[in-house]
Amino acid sequence: MRIQDNAVIELTGTYQNITIDTDHEIDLKIDSKADTELFFRILKAKKINIDADILHNCSILFWNDSEEEIETIENYRVSSAADLNLAYGECNNAKTARKTNVLLGHEHSNALLSTASLISTDKKYDLVLTNNQPKTNSQIRNYAVVLNGGRLMIDAVGKIVKGARKSESHQVSRALSFEEGQSATILPELLIDENDVQASHAMSIGKVEEKDLFYMMSRGLSLKECTKLISLGYLLPITETISDETLKETLRNELERKISELCMM
Amino acid sequence: MKKLEIKNLYVSVEDKQILKGIDLEVNEGEIHALMGPNGNGKSTLLAAIMGDPSYHVDQGSIVYDGQDILSLPVNERSKAGIFLGMQYPQEISGVTNSDFLRAAINVRREKPISLFEFIKTMEKTINDLQMSEDLAHRFVNEGFSGGEKKRNEIVQLEMLKPSLAMLDEIDSGLDVDAIKLVADAIRKIQQETNMAIIIVSHYERFLELIKPTFTHVLINGKIVLSGDETLYDRIDKEGYDWVYKELNLAKEEEETPAVTRVSLGNCAVAETMKGQN
Repeated sequence: MRIQDNAVIELTGTYQNITIDTDHEIDLKIDSKADTELFFRILKAKKINIDADILHNCSILFWNDSEEEIETIENYRVSSAADLNLAYGECNNAKTARKTNVLLGHEHSNALLSTASLISTDKKYDLVLTNNQPKTNSQIRNYAVVLNGGRLMIDAVGKIVKGARKSESHQVSRALSFEEGQSATILPELLIDENDVQASHAMSIGKVEEKDLFYMMSRGLSLKECTKLISLGYLLPITETISDETLKETLRNELERKISELCMM
Repeated sequence: MKKLEIKNLYVSVEDKQILKGIDLEVNEGEIHALMGPNGNGKSTLLAAIMGDPSYHVDQGSIVYDGQDILSLPVNERSKAGIFLGMQYPQEISGVTNSDFLRAAINVRREKPISLFEFIKTMEKTINDLQMSEDLAHRFVNEGFSGGEKKRNEIVQLEMLKPSLAMLDEIDSGLDVDAIKLVADAIRKIQQETNMAIIIVSHYERFLELIKPTFTHVLINGKIVLSGDETLYDRIDKEGYDWVYKELNLAKEEEETPAVTRVSLGNCAVAETMKGQN
């Protein structure tokens, strides 16, 4: 399916592969009627606004293939005991400014938000996950490889409101660089207004350990080949969001090609 | 015939001199056991040959197959046929064993190995070393037990087929059955390829299985004694004390910071200052 204008996307239980290709700003509404997997390939768009009511388990992978700057504002409300699995593949060489809000608005509703980024220009993500009801679970996972000229800025907020007992909010962010001079800023924030909860964040920004490189090079790999393999290891897990094997294979090949191109620069 | 020649090698780590003039020659097909008490430089020697960046070569030369390898980066030394089975193999998160090994095999070939041939070889090797079948899809050494890590080093050895294999305490962490399995695998690869081996081990049973043709004793950063296989027999039975005695060697004291004993109620800083004056 190809989207060029405002649209309502119904999640009816069958896997959908959607391409967004438009010159202007569009509004998308997502309507969940059954457990569904959804793949979006963004070829072109000025601005994308998404509004979604999630009532069933739902996995959505956005794959940014745009050659131009893109802005998105996304709002998701999980309004039943369902799992929302939201993933962003940002491995294109164009700027992105992304604002994503997820509200866990029902007991036992869960959200996992993952990003995989190969950064060679400016990428900025503002992510807010709110545990608004008891026994909800939110997780954020950011994996980024920052290349020459890349600037990454992530503001990741996990918010547990008063009364959302036995809720969990966890974050992991890892940014990898191979040379000096790249910039990555990750601000993990946990705003907790309830006692009976679990929350954590883990973060690392930096170069590959020298011992890892020595081990890999002692088997004959050059520094570039090490860079490629480690980068692929950082980014590839995002393709697991969707179970469709053909799609996984396509995305893996695309990632390998992009990493090869960018790492050779 | 490929030959390793080390001459007058001095190596330091963090400004501490570890190796103080090593001379060693290893020819194709020979198996050399490197022995000596802990902390006398056995691992340092192997790491320096491989090119570990934490070790600094201050003096001397290492030539392999006519090539000065000290001027080569680590990956070129590997491509020249040198392999180091490490005492503590690194865990590389996110990189699968199969991607890693395929890349390592391909850098040695003009044409990349076909997926079919690779899978066939990998399966056979996994089987030879009785590793679990999902090894290929697991991340390199991540979550492996000590014994699995060591066997995985031998999986890599078997697939990369080096001409000089250096094995640094590859038997530690292995149980008795696994030691036999690993030793048999190494012997078999050695017979097929006629590779040279330099082996560091404290375990006599492992050395008996590998059957070294030469034994060297490394003490205080120097090879103080070389001999045939009867030497490791004697060391296994009698330890190193006789070596120190016969060769009139001093045991190097561990450097311990001087501690001044102070009784309660005194100023420790002042007492220490007094002690130094």
